[in-house]
Order: sequence, then C-alpha cells, then structure tokens
Amino acid sequence: MSLESSLFSHRWLPLLLAVPLMSLIVLFFYVPVFQAFYWSFFLEQPFGGGSQFVGLQNFERVLSDPEFWMSGWRTIVFMMTASSLAVVVPLMLAVAADRKIGMSLPARNILVWPKGIAGASIGVVFAFIFNPFVGIMAPLNTMFPGLWNPGIDGTDAFITLVAAHVWSGIPFNFVILLAGLRSIPHTMYQAAAMDGAGPWRRIFDVQLPLILPQLFLTFVLEFTESITSVFALIDTITEGGPGGSTTLLVYKIYVDGFSGYDLSGASTQTVLLMIFVVLLAACQFVFLGRRINYER
Amino acid sequence: MTATDTPMGTAIRAAAADIKLSAVTKAYDARNVVIPPLDVELRAGEFTVVLGPSGCGKSTLLQMIAGLERVSEGKILIGGREVQELEPKHRGCAMVFQNYALYPHMTVAENMAYSLKVAGVSKAQRTERVAKVAKMLGLSDLVARKPGQLSGGQRQRVAIGRAIIREPGVLLFDEPLSNLDAQLRHDMRVELADLHRRIGATSVFVTHDQVEAMTLADRILILNKGRIEQFDTPKAIYYQPASVFVAKFIGAPAMNILRVTGDGDTLRLSDGQVVANYAGQGNFQLGIRPEDIVIGAGGRLKAAIRYREDLGSHEIIEADLAGQPLRIATPFGDEMDKTSSFSFAFPQTRLHLFDAETGRAIPNSFRQAEAVRRSAKEYQ
Repeated sequence: MSLESSLFSHRWLPLLLAVPLMSLIVLFFYVPVFQAFYWSFFLEQPFGGGSQFVGLQNFERVLSDPEFWMSGWRTIVFMMTASSLAVVVPLMLAVAADRKIGMSLPARNILVWPKGIAGASIGVVFAFIFNPFVGIMAPLNTMFPGLWNPGIDGTDAFITLVAAHVWSGIPFNFVILLAGLRSIPHTMYQAAAMDGAGPWRRIFDVQLPLILPQLFLTFVLEFTESITSVFALIDTITEGGPGGSTTLLVYKIYVDGFSGYDLSGASTQTVLLMIFVVLLAACQFVFLGRRINYER
Repeated sequence: MTATDTPMGTAIRAAAADIKLSAVTKAYDARNVVIPPLDVELRAGEFTVVLGPSGCGKSTLLQMIAGLERVSEGKILIGGREVQELEPKHRGCAMVFQNYALYPHMTVAENMAYSLKVAGVSKAQRTERVAKVAKMLGLSDLVARKPGQLSGGQRQRVAIGRAIIREPGVLLFDEPLSNLDAQLRHDMRVELADLHRRIGATSVFVTHDQVEAMTLADRILILNKGRIEQFDTPKAIYYQPASVFVAKFIGAPAMNILRVTGDGDTLRLSDGQVVANYAGQGNFQLGIRPEDIVIGAGGRLKAAIRYREDLGSHEIIEADLAGQPLRIATPFGDEMDKTSSFSFAFPQTRLHLFDAETGRAIPNSFRQAEAVRRSAKEYQ
C-alpha cells in the first residue's frame, strides 16, 4: 500500500490512466461478447425492431442442425492439423536457424517478414499459388489430369487452407521459438557434447525440454487463434467451398449472420465456439501447463 | 577418512592418461592468433593448473583438449592417441564448467547419469553408479532434486559427479570455483584436492586465481598471450619465477620490480643507492618480494613511506624508493615506528634479476635460497 501511494499520489490517477485501454477492451470485446450471449436467448429481427425471448430454443435449433456439427468437426480437424504444423514447421526452422549453419543469420531475418502481411493478402496469394491452372501444381496436373483442383475437390481446398495458415503462422512462432533456443546457454550444448550426445540427441534431450515454455505458449496461442484467424483465408481462397468442405464454424457464423440474417443462430454458434475455445485453453493449462519447468 | 577406508571409495577410479600437445595452434585468421604453436606434456595422473589473466587463451586451450574447439594446427595426444580430429565423446575427457551447465530439466541423478544413458549403459548399472558417485560427493540425499533446488556448492558437486561418473582418464575444469563465495571456494579446493587423490585422473584446471593454482597444482602452467611463461611446481614458480610476468602474477602483494643499472660491480637505483652486488653491466629489472625485505637491521637502503595498510597479521607499507613504488610486508607482530622514512635491506639470496627488455629471468644471478633447490629435487 505504501509503495502504491508513493508512486501515485492521486487515488484515481491509476484508474484514469487505464481508462483509454479499458474502454477499448470493453467496447470491442466485452460488449460484443455480452451481446452474443444476450442474442442467443432471443429471436432477433433481421433488420432490427424488437426481439423476443425464446429461452434455449436457439441452442436446441443449432445443436440439432447437422450442418453445425459438420463445420464444428471441420474446425477441429483444421485446428489439429494446421495448428500443429504451424508450430512444428517453425520449430524445425528455428532449430536450423539456431545452429551455426550457412545462411542462418539472413534466414533469421527473412523468416520474420511474413508477420507484416495481412491474412486476406496471404489468402489471395495462396489462391493464386495453388491455382490448378497457373499455380505450382499446374505441371503435375498436366501429367496427371485432375490430380489437383481445390475448386472442385474439398480435400485439395482444405490442404490449401492449411498450407496458407501454416505459412502465415511461421513468423510469430519462429520468433518465439528461436528466442527460446537462443537463450539456452552455450555451455549446455558443450556439456551435452562432452556427455557424448550428438546433434540430434541434443535437440531432443536438451533443446526441446528447455524451450517447453515457448512451445507451450505457441501451442496455446495457435490452437485458440487458428479457430478465428482462419476466417480471412477462407473468405479469400475458398469462400467455404467447394460444397461447404471448407466451411469452418467461424465462416459458417459469418454466412449465417450476414448472408442469412439469422442473427440469433449466429450468436448462439458464437457462444458455443467461445465456450469451446475457453475450455480448450483451460485444458491445455491444466494438462500441459503444470508440467512445464520454467527454471533455467 | 581416506578413500581406501570405505568400500565405495575405490569404486570410482580412472585410468589416467597423459596429454601431449605438439605445436598446437589456434588462430581465427592470420591476425587473430589466440595460441601460437604450443608444446607441452602433462604426465598421467598429474594435476596441472593453467593460470593466466583473462584473454590469455587458457580456456581455449582447455576447450581444444576437450574437443569443443577445433585445433587450427598441431597434434593433441591423449594416452598416446591422436585425438585432435575426434569428437569430444571419443577423447575420454570429462569437463566441469564454470557455470556448472547442469541440465535444469533433469534431476541430480539424471544429470549425473546422462553420459551413461547416451553410452547405452543399462538402467540398473546407471542407478548403481549414480549411488556410488553421489555417496562419494555427499549428494545421496539430493539425487531426486532438480538443479534449481540446490545451492551453488551442491550444484558444483553435481557437476563434478557428472564428470567423474564415467571414470574419464582426463578431467578438465574450466574455472569451476569462480562462481562460489570465498568460504565455499576454500572448502571446494580441499575437496577437489582430495578427490583428485582418490580418482587419480589427469586433471587440467583452468583459473585466474593464483591461490587455487598454488594449492591445487602439482605443476602450474602460466600462460600469457597464448605462450607458456613458465611450467613448473608451485614452489619453483614462487621462488624462481622465469619472467617478470610470472613474478608479478604470483604472490600477494605482487613482487616489487625495480629498474636498476649495473656498473660492472654493483646494481644501483637512479638516485645512486646500491641495492646489490652484481658483475653485469647495463639496465636490469630487479625483483624482490614484499615479504622478503628486511626492515631496520642496519639496512643501507632508505625510502619514504607513502601509505600503510594494517591487515592485523601483518602490515603492508607502500614506500617510494628512488621514484619507484615499493611494497613491503612486515613480519607478523612487528611494530613499526611511525616515522616517515625508514631503512631496510634486500637479502641477496632473495633477489631476482630480469632482463630489462625481455623480462626473462637471468638465472643464478645471486645465490638462490636453499629451500628452492630442495623442493625442486623433491619433485624430480
């Protein structure tokens, strides 16, 4: 108490200083969250003008809709594959860049650049790269006609999404993981070398255990973020198609709410998605977070 | 209690290997030569301390022996086997690092057993060996802990345990005591000396601390800018320093070095005072240890006192002798007059003469102390 009062002579000054940020958080996070919860218990008019309390009917409707479960399942598949790859690929790059191999210094720099590119731009670029007629798969298509066409093959479209997501996730995760690797004292490797461990063994016995905190951070952020950040990619690359094969929950909410004007249904799905993300993060902390040794 | 008293004591015993460096060179490029061609032989089972100021190349030398640094040129033989191109694990060395470098995610037992695990030793054997080493180092109660839960001294012991568990022929120490406080450092010195006696591995110990060097070493290798200044027993290095560098580096306070001129008969200071009889002519550097100067006793030399430090057991007097600083350590219990100038003498047998230019010692300038010869003979 004495420390606080000596730092801030005014009682309300600390609160006052926090107001700008707090108001932003309230306005753009808590209010919409509250709104979503509120709407999920009401039947909203598409163009405004009154709403009607319906209790849990929205939830009954959504949960009995097979479309919801399909897109929910796709969301989980995407999360497991894309998020895992979005950590594992940067991890491999970081381990390589950390070693004194040729070009590791420029690589450390260049691999960070994609961080500056917006998700929608990445989507447009990847739509072009994986275009079956002019993209990198085009030569394969001439050899094996019909091998690759994300426009009509749902799996191909899904793979395109995953690739774009992994690529966009590289910079941030790469920076975090490389920072973790760089902070391992050099003598640790020397000690392991003296103990007879070769480079591969050192990766698994020394490096990975020592960057568990960073790995955990990237996994939690990836798994929770991929669910929503994939929207920009879907919207620019596949628009949910073909045949709904890339309609993940976040895209379905958008379509239901803003194309179908089912505001209540979209809100209800938002609430369910939110609960899922919170539970997922909680599980990660409960089952993984406690095992991590933060000591160096 | 000595090693042979306990059944466990004899369990960890290394087959010591001799180390021979021939024309070993370390250079990053033509201008950046850390170690110019260096030849040295370390006997099997010997405890060698590599001593030198920071940046003298002593750690580089150790890492080259370990295999953590490449040798630019030359050969390293361990137990008669050329190893300079081998991986660290094939050299039969173990190392104790300055910051311990324990694996923070492993327990004490896992830390110590890691090298055995990598080598494919069975779990039962590993457990047995860890128990032996832990008992030897007084770590038995701590094997289940992580390094983060240990004190500095305990971590140091774990690091030593990790090094000796494979019973390596060569044990390398890279300033292992420099992170400990004064008391612990002393205790660990005693323990290390005892451990060396029990294990018998050829030990190379790098430090910049002369006390560690004097107390631990069979022989001290003094390194300056990558070159060997002197490689001898602690006693010989103290009593017969081979150069001004060695003379100033060993002993606290350091040896006084005075510029003197020889007229063919005597050595004189710039103000004309005669400090010694010597037949040579020209400029020299004359060395005398602060504790060897005899105050009073009809001494012919005179100096002005600038500063006195009373350390309880003895007093350090900083004086001005013909414009050159001179330190004198008074013998225990001697009371000095509080005068501003005093007379003293340099005993001839305690003087060291060095070349004015090269700083190398000019041997047999004066009759050297008998004690030195005796100790030198004892060693050989």
